[in-house]
Amino acid sequence: MEPDVSMESGSMIRVAVLPVGGAIPPPLLRTYTSMLTRHSVVDLSSISSFYSEHQKSPFSHQPWDSGSLRFKFVLGAHPPSPWDDFQPSRKTLAVVALAHLPSVPDLGALSEQLSSACKPYASSALAVRCFAFDPSDAQLEEGRRRGERGSDIVLFPPSDRQAQELHMLTMVQDLAATLLMEFEKAVLRTESAGTILKTPLDSQASLGSEEVIKAKKRRLGRAQKTIGDYCLLAGSPVDANAHYSTAIELARLTNDVFWHAGALEGSVCALLVDRRGHKDPVLEEEVKYRYYSVIQLYRRSFIQDNAQRVSTVSFELEAALKLARFLCRRELAKEVVELLMGAADGAKSLIDANDRLILYVEIARLFGTLGYQRKAAFFSRQVAQLYLQQDNACAATSAMQVLSMTSKAYHVQSRGANSKLCASRLELASNHTEGGKVQPQSIISLFESQWSTLQMVVLREILMSSVRAGDPLAAWSAAARLLRSFYPLITPPGQSGLASSLANSAERLPLGTRSADPALPFIRLHSFPLHPSQTDIIKRNPGKKEWWAGSAPSGPFIYTPFSKGGATDNNKQELTWIVGEPVQVLVELANPCAFDLLVESIYLSVHSGNLDAFPVSVSLPPNTSKVILLSGIPTKVGPVSIPGCILHCFGVITEHLFKEVDNLLLGVAQGLVLSDPFRCCGSSKLKNVHIPSISVVPSLPLLVSHVVGGDSAAILYEGEIRDIWISLTNAGTVPVEQAHISLTGKNQDSVISIAHENLRSGLPLKPGAEVTLPVTIKAWQLGMVDSDHDASSSSSGSSRRISKEGSCPLLVIHYAGPLLHPSESSVTEYPVPPGRRLVVPLHVCILQGLRYVKARLLSMEIPSHVSKTFSNNVNVDKNVSGGASFQNRPNSLLKIDPYRGSWGLHLLELELSNPTDVVFEVNVSVQLDDGPKNDDQNASIVDHDTAEFGCPKTRIDRECSSRVLIPLEHFKLPVLDGSIFAKDYQRNDSLGSKVTGMAEWNTKAELNASINNLISKIKVRWQSGRNSSGELNIKDATQAALQASVVDILLPDPLTFEFRLAKHGHISERLDGSLDSKMQVVSPGSPSGQSTDESTVRSKESIQAHEMTPMEVYIRNNTRERIRMSLSVTCRDVAGDNCIEGASATVLWAGILTGISLEVLPLQEVAHSFSLYFLVPGEYTLLAAAVIDDATDVLRARAKTESLEPIFCRGSPFHVHVMGTA
Amino acid sequence: MASTACFIIVSRNDIPIYEAEVGSAIKKEEAAHQHQFILHAALDIVQDLAWTTSAMFLKSTDRLMLLHDSRNEDGIKSFFQEVHELYIKILLNPLYLPGSRITSAHFDTKVRALARRYL
Repeated sequence: MEPDVSMESGSMIRVAVLPVGGAIPPPLLRTYTSMLTRHSVVDLSSISSFYSEHQKSPFSHQPWDSGSLRFKFVLGAHPPSPWDDFQPSRKTLAVVALAHLPSVPDLGALSEQLSSACKPYASSALAVRCFAFDPSDAQLEEGRRRGERGSDIVLFPPSDRQAQELHMLTMVQDLAATLLMEFEKAVLRTESAGTILKTPLDSQASLGSEEVIKAKKRRLGRAQKTIGDYCLLAGSPVDANAHYSTAIELARLTNDVFWHAGALEGSVCALLVDRRGHKDPVLEEEVKYRYYSVIQLYRRSFIQDNAQRVSTVSFELEAALKLARFLCRRELAKEVVELLMGAADGAKSLIDANDRLILYVEIARLFGTLGYQRKAAFFSRQVAQLYLQQDNACAATSAMQVLSMTSKAYHVQSRGANSKLCASRLELASNHTEGGKVQPQSIISLFESQWSTLQMVVLREILMSSVRAGDPLAAWSAAARLLRSFYPLITPPGQSGLASSLANSAERLPLGTRSADPALPFIRLHSFPLHPSQTDIIKRNPGKKEWWAGSAPSGPFIYTPFSKGGATDNNKQELTWIVGEPVQVLVELANPCAFDLLVESIYLSVHSGNLDAFPVSVSLPPNTSKVILLSGIPTKVGPVSIPGCILHCFGVITEHLFKEVDNLLLGVAQGLVLSDPFRCCGSSKLKNVHIPSISVVPSLPLLVSHVVGGDSAAILYEGEIRDIWISLTNAGTVPVEQAHISLTGKNQDSVISIAHENLRSGLPLKPGAEVTLPVTIKAWQLGMVDSDHDASSSSSGSSRRISKEGSCPLLVIHYAGPLLHPSESSVTEYPVPPGRRLVVPLHVCILQGLRYVKARLLSMEIPSHVSKTFSNNVNVDKNVSGGASFQNRPNSLLKIDPYRGSWGLHLLELELSNPTDVVFEVNVSVQLDDGPKNDDQNASIVDHDTAEFGCPKTRIDRECSSRVLIPLEHFKLPVLDGSIFAKDYQRNDSLGSKVTGMAEWNTKAELNASINNLISKIKVRWQSGRNSSGELNIKDATQAALQASVVDILLPDPLTFEFRLAKHGHISERLDGSLDSKMQVVSPGSPSGQSTDESTVRSKESIQAHEMTPMEVYIRNNTRERIRMSLSVTCRDVAGDNCIEGASATVLWAGILTGISLEVLPLQEVAHSFSLYFLVPGEYTLLAAAVIDDATDVLRARAKTESLEPIFCRGSPFHVHVMGTA
Repeated sequence: MASTACFIIVSRNDIPIYEAEVGSAIKKEEAAHQHQFILHAALDIVQDLAWTTSAMFLKSTDRLMLLHDSRNEDGIKSFFQEVHELYIKILLNPLYLPGSRITSAHFDTKVRALARRYL
């Protein structure tokens, strides 16, 4: 059988093309043959000049104007077959030798080689030519000499291609003319001599004596057929047809079936050559009809007896293939398929394996032309199997090539072979994923044709054939595809076998070979690490002066889970990389196979070429996955695309695209792919990471911060105040021109001050320059959560509490370089280089300092001494009184004047403990600002005094506790106002108008404010060692302690009583005793006008026994309403007995002492005069009390009573010292 | 029962979604491949003929293909009808994504039982 047969192959002159005279470089050979083979059709009209009619041509109807000779150039040797006589077109009718003269020693040797090369064709070849290219001058000369003697060697002098082609055309035309003349001779020879034409079918025995006549006729018929064949070759179909008609007649008569078929076949060929160019249905029908009978005749010529020796099956099949090729059109697919399938069936009866090979090749080709790719693939695979049965490398190469052609139909093709398809598929996938909504149907199309069994078989065969063919790259690629796509279906030993075949192939490959097909591992993008907070990049808006304003995270969290999640989810996520600053990308590798995988190096594949990627080496044990960090340095401004990674693995360089694995994982999600390589390695499911659009910007300034004195955390006790010095260095190559500091994070209010000026004055900060700015920080209070946590965790260790990580405030510095980069000012993409953000955590480790244990409110009652004073020297008194009281009492914090007394003095007792191992000194002060009486000057002085002298330091040794007393005084409000009880009012008085409600609310707020005011005045400062000092935050504790009795502290009683000595009736002397408060801190700064000159009073001691002492009691109404009451005054002796009434009364009196009805106007005083006469000197106590009639709600609320009974109001006791007269 | 039979369901996208060797002959690894290769190659023609021939027992866009060596046309016809019913049941399963592989063991048992009965 012959390859590439068609109906018209009967009209083609076979020309053998042989390279001779030493090796010809393959590219040159290719050029030479291409020059030759383009002349496969030579018009008769063009050869007439070379043609000389020696005798009368037998081709009487030769169409000189329209006809042509056809050549079929066959490169390489073609052995003559026993069937050559049957069809002259099978014979090699001419030999064209090609020679490359530089590799030929001399022309003599060439002609010797030529003649030896032509020997196999000597019987059939009618013409021999040798085209010799590139002769040297000497060779040209020699050729010229030989040419005179007539030689077959044609020299092609070196010239340009066009000239050579023209030369070649001439030579081919010359050859054609020679052949034509030879055909004429052959025809004449056949006609005259009656040569015996035989085929292997004709056995010698069959020529019996009785059949001699028949045999003669038969011979005539065969001769006619042969002449017809030559006519066809000579391009004269009309002549051929005439001869064929005769031959057919004779063959039919002599029952020469085989030659009948041959003649019929020839006639069809003649018909087609004659009608070349016109194809009509009638012709087609005719051809079909005749060919079916040809096939039929060939089938009939099959003789069972000699079927083992010779068989005509191949002719039958060839005829079927010819017909199939003739009909090969989509519309006639059914018929063609039947023909081809019939031919395929016939393959079994073919003896020669080569014939079968050719048959399958032809069938596959025809199916391919028909568009039946899968059928074609099937037969191609058959071809490959036949090749593989032959045991030589050449056949294996062919098998490999054929198989790789089938790989498309089986969807296992190498990525290198059809990068376009892969690209489009990738694009499709990306469209899907980007579209968000994924169409299941279109995803399925991504994983087209999952004929995994077939695919594995085909790949295995490719692997086998390429190993045998010695093509390591193809073997590598096949093994890689097999392993990557079908590892779940391959047993662990099989996987290891594939791995070793990968390694073996790689050994034969030169170092640095690239393969388009990636093997293992699977690589997917894990994440892009965000910029560390030290080098964060912020877009700068040129229009906005404070570009950082919106960029800083609002809210208390610098890294909120929402913003982070949003960033990764967002498709439009953008990354900015900076020239010269290393970047990092996390990728995950998975090795789902059962062998150790060593990735010699892996680095990012950057198609945009502006990133230097750094390779790393990874080793992956069986069934594991690893996340590794790949890094690189951007080198140029512009966008960066990272489609995948480049790997050196198994000795070959491959590129692994992220997209492919994404698609694979998508398929896994849809249940279309066998297995998820990452999941089976135990890696968790990862969300699809989109490759963000990455752009590289020119270099930016880079600030690096460090804390002066070491970057470790400063250790502070709670409440300690300290400066932290932060130095900022510009480590970039661009100066910092703008900078702005802000605060964020927890405990922001602990930062007291930042030296903004230092930074501002340092700008612009040149590269390498440094600026230092102090930050004053006050250590915050440790929360309870901290302590709980700590207590549980370190129960055995010290019970010291330490602040948690992450509770430190963060200093955020936004900075930026110049608006236009000096060197690249022309860059238009980034008209404004972005700014950056530096986050400097103020590392503070807070130790527990002084611990507040509890606060208690103590009240103390010290009765006043009755004395007298004159109210006109009040101002003088005050200043003096300060000094006086100091003298009186060494502990000036509690300056209680024994002559004034203090009724209901409230003291706040703070219990502090020191759990640390250092000593603390505590300094308590109460700051007094302008009190109720608005004596500014005085207040300030007093304040000063307090701070200066008032508070001796309390030393608390380590692990000790101590109590500190804080007097609470002068926080009373001047007026007892109903509005304070607004709440109660509103409950009771439903008619209360809105306006009053508002007013009440305001007053309520005032009250709260004054409480806060009170608390904030109390400062507990501490000092420990030489350089740590701070303040204890006890506000909450104080508030808690005061909460219960705050009303008592702040609100005045409704009535206050005062006793005064009335001196001689015209100057009233005050018996100073402020009855209004139950607690009174008698301090020198008391702004009340009630303070008296104690020393004066004492020196003028005036109450004598046995003397009438006129006295007055002043009752002050502290409310805004008029109060009616009945007042009574009593006097008690030391024993507490009433010494005015009763049997043993020691005091006589004048005036009314009980049941005095009085009415006091709002905020007014009334006086009631009486006189006492002390019979016995000694200590007495005066008491005033009143029963308020018609008490209002305010009063009731103050008295904390609900009932309607009269309210009893009692003043504080007064001491009266009565001197004896003696 | 036929000695060789390979049954396969091919989805619209030419992906085999179910395959079963239902022949009674002893299975050889290579033979199984061969059957699949033949069926795969036949797809071309099936595709062409699907809408032109009346010899299809089921006009369905998902193709049920049987490679057989028995001449029992009636048996094959009933086999196809029954399997088609089973297949429709699978399709009606809301959890089954049309076009993906049929992994139901129940379906497999039923198909094999049908093959024993009809082929």
